[in-house]
Amino acid sequence: MLTAEIVGSGAGRQRDAFSSDHGGRQISVNMDIKLLHLDDESLICRIQEGSHEAFATLVDRHSNRFYRIAYRLVSSKDDAEDIVQEAFLKLWDRPNLWDPGKRAKFTTWFYRVVINLCFDHRKKKKMINLPADIELADENPGPDVLFDVHQKQAVLERFIRKLPERQQLAVNLCFYEGLSNNEAAQIIGVKVKALQSLVMRAKTTLKYKVKRYLGGGSRCQ
Amino acid sequence: MPMNFEQFKEKLLMYGVDVRNWPKEIRSSGLKALDSSFELQKLVEDEERFEGVLKTRKYEEPSRDLAGRIVAAALPKKKKAQRNLGVFFAEVLGEFSLSRRALAAVSVSLIFTLIIGFTIGFSNPSGYAFAEQYETNLEDFLNYEGDVL
Repeated sequence: MLTAEIVGSGAGRQRDAFSSDHGGRQISVNMDIKLLHLDDESLICRIQEGSHEAFATLVDRHSNRFYRIAYRLVSSKDDAEDIVQEAFLKLWDRPNLWDPGKRAKFTTWFYRVVINLCFDHRKKKKMINLPADIELADENPGPDVLFDVHQKQAVLERFIRKLPERQQLAVNLCFYEGLSNNEAAQIIGVKVKALQSLVMRAKTTLKYKVKRYLGGGSRCQ
Repeated sequence: MPMNFEQFKEKLLMYGVDVRNWPKEIRSSGLKALDSSFELQKLVEDEERFEGVLKTRKYEEPSRDLAGRIVAAALPKKKKAQRNLGVFFAEVLGEFSLSRRALAAVSVSLIFTLIIGFTIGFSNPSGYAFAEQYETNLEDFLNYEGDVL
């Protein structure tokens, strides 16, 4: 068993942040409690100085958040995890990519990094090989069709995927991630008014499609 | 200024069905409009159903070890990037997980052993020899005829 232990600067000031067991390897990470109180931008400065502990703290704090958006965009747990890992390793390799002079919040900047990786991933998979159930789901079912939850989810996913990229992002960030319009607008790189317009158009399209879909088959709500 | 139907519908799409969570500037006018209009209440109900459908979207939680895996993947890179003598010794010492006091004791005993070793070595005349004693006399060697059997 290989044990990787990252030791902080002083005894008694560390906590066992998380441990994981994968592929027979037990990884336990001790994080300096001081680091837990630092904001993201200060942690990045530490990472730029080579602090692996600061990196571990940042990953522990945000990996789930960025996984969520990655999952929303690629619809695969494994792919989403790989993308988040790739994004964080890029940050570790080249922490100077984040420029504190630009005064962008770390999360805003990193959302963009993850989103770009997701879109690259989708392009590589030729606008994504939709999971089989999504491909098979009939958008215009007959009236005698009973929808199961699985099929409903697949159709909904398909509707969202068919939205233009920026509308998809707007819905994912504002509705599913609950980000403020301001933050979502910064991530997408549009003004707040434009973001609101994207959300409205996306929801209007989805509502129309969902109503038509549910109207075509037996409702089971 | 009271909010009309179209304005309310727009805000509903923008900010969601919970009017109490709308931005402060429009919250009270939104609530007033909602209270006074049956049509708007139906609109909100319809929107609630729609959001309910959106919330059925499939989602899988990440693996519990995601963060640990990312941190572990960055470790070899760290070692590669910072390989030097100091880091090497720090890593070697780190492997043994000794406390500072134990580490100091080990270091002192090692230094002490070295000093004793050198002292004994230099003070022992028995193994000491002049270099001249080992020099080969080339002329004698060449002229040596050896014993005839």
